[in-house]
Amino acid sequence: MSIRQLVRGRAGVAARLSVACIALTASGTVIAYSGTGLAAASAKPKTVTLQFWNTYNTADKEASTMAKVIIPKFEKLNPGIRVDSVQIPYGDLLQKFITSSAAGNPPDVLRSDIAWVAQLAQSGVAVNVGKLKAFAAIKKDTLPGPLATTKVDGNYWAFPDDTNTQALYWNKADFAAAGIAGPPTTINQMFADAATLTVSSKQQYGLGVDGTDIWNMAPYIWSMGGSFTNANYTQASGYMDSNATETAVTALVNLLNAGDIGSDFQGGASAVSGEAGFPKGEYAMYIDGPWAVPTYSALSPVPSYGIAPFPSGAGGSVSTVGGEDTVVAKDGHHIADAEKFAEFLDSPFAQLAMAAQGDMSTEINDAAKEVAATPYYSVFTHQLLTARIRANSAGYSEMDSDWSNELGQILAGKVTVDAGLATAAQEGDQALAGS
Amino acid sequence: MTATTSLEQRPAEIPPGVVSRRRYRLTRLATPFLLLLPAGLLYVVFIVYPIFRQFDISFFNWHIFPGVANPFVGWSNYTRIFHDPEIRTAGFNTLLFLVFTVPLQMALGLFAAALLTDRLPGRGLWRALVFIPVITSWVVVSYVFAYIFADQGGVANALVSIFAGHTVHIDWLAQTWTGNAVIWLVSIWKGVGWSFIMFLAALDGVPRTLVESSRVDGAKEWRVWRHVVIPNIRPTIMFVLVLLVIGASQVFTQIFILTSGGPYESTQVVLTYAYQQAFSYFNFSYAAAIASLMAVIVFLLSVLQIRLLRQKDIS
Repeated sequence: MSIRQLVRGRAGVAARLSVACIALTASGTVIAYSGTGLAAASAKPKTVTLQFWNTYNTADKEASTMAKVIIPKFEKLNPGIRVDSVQIPYGDLLQKFITSSAAGNPPDVLRSDIAWVAQLAQSGVAVNVGKLKAFAAIKKDTLPGPLATTKVDGNYWAFPDDTNTQALYWNKADFAAAGIAGPPTTINQMFADAATLTVSSKQQYGLGVDGTDIWNMAPYIWSMGGSFTNANYTQASGYMDSNATETAVTALVNLLNAGDIGSDFQGGASAVSGEAGFPKGEYAMYIDGPWAVPTYSALSPVPSYGIAPFPSGAGGSVSTVGGEDTVVAKDGHHIADAEKFAEFLDSPFAQLAMAAQGDMSTEINDAAKEVAATPYYSVFTHQLLTARIRANSAGYSEMDSDWSNELGQILAGKVTVDAGLATAAQEGDQALAGS
Repeated sequence: MTATTSLEQRPAEIPPGVVSRRRYRLTRLATPFLLLLPAGLLYVVFIVYPIFRQFDISFFNWHIFPGVANPFVGWSNYTRIFHDPEIRTAGFNTLLFLVFTVPLQMALGLFAAALLTDRLPGRGLWRALVFIPVITSWVVVSYVFAYIFADQGGVANALVSIFAGHTVHIDWLAQTWTGNAVIWLVSIWKGVGWSFIMFLAALDGVPRTLVESSRVDGAKEWRVWRHVVIPNIRPTIMFVLVLLVIGASQVFTQIFILTSGGPYESTQVVLTYAYQQAFSYFNFSYAAAIASLMAVIVFLLSVLQIRLLRQKDIS
């Protein structure tokens, strides 16, 4: 069938209709484009909407403070920029950000766990914010611990957002009943007190340890002079299996075997977390961050407890730096505006507003003000001066999981401390090298 | 042979409207290929290409992000496998899974098929009951078993409590051996129906005359099975064995849902470990190397099984 036949025949009706449709669509597109051009000439400046992914808690005032106090202030100061704050469950956030970045459509700004920054930087999905003019001032004003969490391979890949660390929570009534005057100041005293405070008949353990992962273990290991990696975070062998680390782990294993550490250490479905067990009298001591205070204040009756610095050992009183950093997505659609917003989150206004909701400020100059507003921060700000960051490496998550699993095997008595730590170090080397 | 030749030589009837015999023959030849084309295309796009791409990725330090350099790393992802203590645990667990589930699925499937071949009352109902788990989703079944073996309020603990005379809280899924046992149990329970249906079809194909004549000759039941039934269903046994071994090597869903490889990686198998490397730690190349090596092992294992069983057949 020739083209002429096709056009003349029955099929030609359909063909003519199709051609007409294409022509109409094309002309419509032309009109639409020219319309845009006309509109652009007379319209107001375009409004940009930034996507801001975070894990702010919606159960308390954390998410609403961001949405109703900080973002409106930023929008007022920056006409034409709107911010859409999207809460995503913690367990999904990293994977969701990675996959959306791979698809070329990430959010503009991500409030990232500090442990993810190295992975995002080395994957090439974060903007090198250290090159920004505004970052020089932020760098100068930030506490060394939180600032270090943003530095990977000599560059800065995120704005410090908020910080925290652990301190020792101790039950005043339990201590008084055991005849102990106050919280321990040394690790050895802490372990001795744990034995004294354990009352099997009351299901009361002297010490609660909330898991085998590095976040929970690091204060014990570091304060007793042990370590996980070298200073460059490239090697675990010789550090994770060093004599000092082995001594610290052995002490905890002995304490567990003696029945002085509770069910939270080994985990499992029946384990009671420190935060749940402490106010019920299951643990006489445990370490936790500042977020536990509002939880306990909401209880009735409010438990009688104190917060003290983590006890000192051969390595000093060292706890773990926690918190979040603000990452600007490299493939984001509005990078300059996103940088403005990330920078604003580091302003005293935003830092102090969020500090009132449990997110401690990363700014050196805010410490006095936030302690005045929230007195229980005092111990934590003091503790932050000696707190240390975990390995700033893309292989950290894998290394943490390897360490946690091997320590679990040690606690279950399946491997010796020596053998377990040697395996953890070998796996740690691979995780750090693989990154 | 003669009949076939005469059929082939018979001139084809050409439908009215078709211009030439040549075009008609071409159309007739092309039709099956055209019909196969959509399925073939899907197979190439979703099976063949990913397999080759996976092998390709395993030789690079591959990043998921476009525009990021993916340097060639040669065999280093493969050498890493041999120095990884966790893959040893995962490999051992995969082997344990295979050893525990494959023979039991085959034995129970054959037993059920033998039982339900004869004219039992309600035979259809029994057959359906055995087969229903096969058509149920793995995700649904895994969640049901997670509920049955839950630490708090689980059915298993309720039953144990009745026998123990006091309330027990066994954390089935949080302990190495009980966790593994639950995984094996759910896999056997769900898999038996498939081998049952295979053996049922095979047993239907065994000539009744052979079985009956051997019985008339005085052969005892186990001799009938050993010398008559089993040799007749050997191809099915081989088929079921090969497919179950392949399936056991690819076990994933039930472990992912029930234990996520825990506690402390002690129920981890090769594919859950590869998944963890890819989607938790974003080590896509290493995960690709693990999956590729596993594919080669499973392929070699299948060839070996087929050869061994064929040799037995010949002897």
